[in-house]
Amino acid sequence: MTDTATAVAGAQPEIRPRRQGRNLALWLSVGWLALVVAAAVAAPWLGFLDDPHRPLAGQPEEGPSWSHWFGTDQLGRDMFARSVWGGRLSLSIAGPAVGIGIVAGGLLGVAAGYFGKWVDGAVSSVVNVALALPALVFALFIVTVLGQSYANVTIAVTILTIPAIARIARAQALRFAAREFVTVADMMGAKWPRLLFREVLPNVVPALASIAFLAMGIVIIAEGSLSFIGVSVGSPSITWGNILAAGRGRLEESPHIALTTGGVMFATLLALNFVGDELLRRLDVREARI
Amino acid sequence: MLRFLGLRLAQLAVVVLAVTLLFYWMLSLLPGNPCVAAFGGGATEEQIAECEQDRNLDDPVIVQWAKWGGDVLTGDMGKSYLTGRTFGEAFTNALPRTLLLLAYSQFLALGAAIPLGLWSGYRQNSVGDKIASGGAFALLSAPVFVLGLVLSLVFAVKLDWFDLGGYQPISEGLVAHFKVMFLPAVTLAAGLLPIYLRLLRTDVIGTLQEDFVGTARAKGLPVRHVLLRHVLRPSSFTLLTVFGIQAAQAVNAAIVVEFLFDLDGVGSLLVSWVAAREFLLVQTLVALIAAVFVTVTTMVDLLYSVLDPRVRRR
Repeated sequence: MTDTATAVAGAQPEIRPRRQGRNLALWLSVGWLALVVAAAVAAPWLGFLDDPHRPLAGQPEEGPSWSHWFGTDQLGRDMFARSVWGGRLSLSIAGPAVGIGIVAGGLLGVAAGYFGKWVDGAVSSVVNVALALPALVFALFIVTVLGQSYANVTIAVTILTIPAIARIARAQALRFAAREFVTVADMMGAKWPRLLFREVLPNVVPALASIAFLAMGIVIIAEGSLSFIGVSVGSPSITWGNILAAGRGRLEESPHIALTTGGVMFATLLALNFVGDELLRRLDVREARI
Repeated sequence: MLRFLGLRLAQLAVVVLAVTLLFYWMLSLLPGNPCVAAFGGGATEEQIAECEQDRNLDDPVIVQWAKWGGDVLTGDMGKSYLTGRTFGEAFTNALPRTLLLLAYSQFLALGAAIPLGLWSGYRQNSVGDKIASGGAFALLSAPVFVLGLVLSLVFAVKLDWFDLGGYQPISEGLVAHFKVMFLPAVTLAAGLLPIYLRLLRTDVIGTLQEDFVGTARAKGLPVRHVLLRHVLRPSSFTLLTVFGIQAAQAVNAAIVVEFLFDLDGVGSLLVSWVAAREFLLVQTLVALIAAVFVTVTTMVDLLYSVLDPRVRRR
């Protein structure tokens, strides 16, 4: 009881610095994400970046230095270049996967939430079952059966995002379908496509946009797990996951391989989750944890 | 109650059937003869013919699937054509390792999350609470393989407190066993801890507003007693539900952790069969995991509805 009282009393002067701290963290996160995405997109045109496949770009197994920011691996390849190119591939899988996942999962969820009845029954039961199964097992299976190519890995991780997104979209659609403005539009004689696409859907979009950041994080981890255990896009392709898998074998000799790329990956996921959470909070979206 | 149970069991059967049929259909889409692939190219005509007979490759996909299902149900799980090891041998060897890993990590995660969650809910917005929440957020963002690598670098490679050399059974001595199992269990627990912690904290903040907590405090019961006896108890429902939901996540992470720490558990079995293209074994294992999985989540749901009868009426 006393704790609640002090919390309420203490809340007033505390608000400003807290919000400023959050703003700073938000902009730092956005800045870091912009940097990572820019580096990934521009990798082929960055003049100062070494060729990630060129052996003996420097002395083998050397720690970070001014000429090789992330050090080199046992073949003397530049780890910074490899990290950037790994990010390029990992992000180019995660980007389309989340894009497709948001559209497909969003439509499914909104339809389920808006129409209810058997549509909801069908979508919800599939979603609940899919969410309860260990997704990595299935992604593993899909990739090995279809083959370890860029398209197949993207397909596997896309399938993985749809149920979680559909569940959140459904909850949001349910919330808005019951609102007055939808009832009013209904009473004014609007048909269901108008109600669905002009009244309900636009209100679900902000939630989906913030979910996209969280989903991006999940997909990056999923693809990273697949490449870490050797079941993603085959070598010589570079992904964050297979850099870390290589670093695992060299922990003793060159810990910098795992630490640098691991650090970049961690920072990126931290930023994605922070931006996603913060957007959800500011848009006041409830029931939206993935 | 019986209706509820029947519904869940029917759902369970449908899921397992649908998932395995889907896999069979996907496997049938693969180009080439699966029996030639199963031997890694070095098989005689006879061996291939035997394997083709074994797997009923002349039948339509749905019949193959039905026969496979019959075999599995009667205990014939198949064997690796490459190594000659049966499914049962490999699986019984791997299963205890995975179960121990999962048990240790749940124990560690709950053991840390319960006191931390109670405390940060009770001391909401205190410095300790903020540190715990921030730490939970950071842990939630760290992929298991990054965390596992950092932990093994610091505690096994640099400090040399733990071993990385692969699994040691309890019969080799408890010290050797835990030297191998501790880091994997911590890595896995680190992914579960923040989820338990966040939920428990929210729950505790809610429960602390209840009248019976005020009454207990007014009676002069010590804070520790109130938190453990009055506040924690209603939250056990939430923890149980989350435990059911998070089980899928735990299995995902366990596959990666077993691979990282060379534990040769069920996850490693899956990965090695996938790498060796032993699709039939993979298929059986995936079906088995799916079945165990749906059973566990169903049991959690049932337990939940026993504890709280309101759940049965949806």
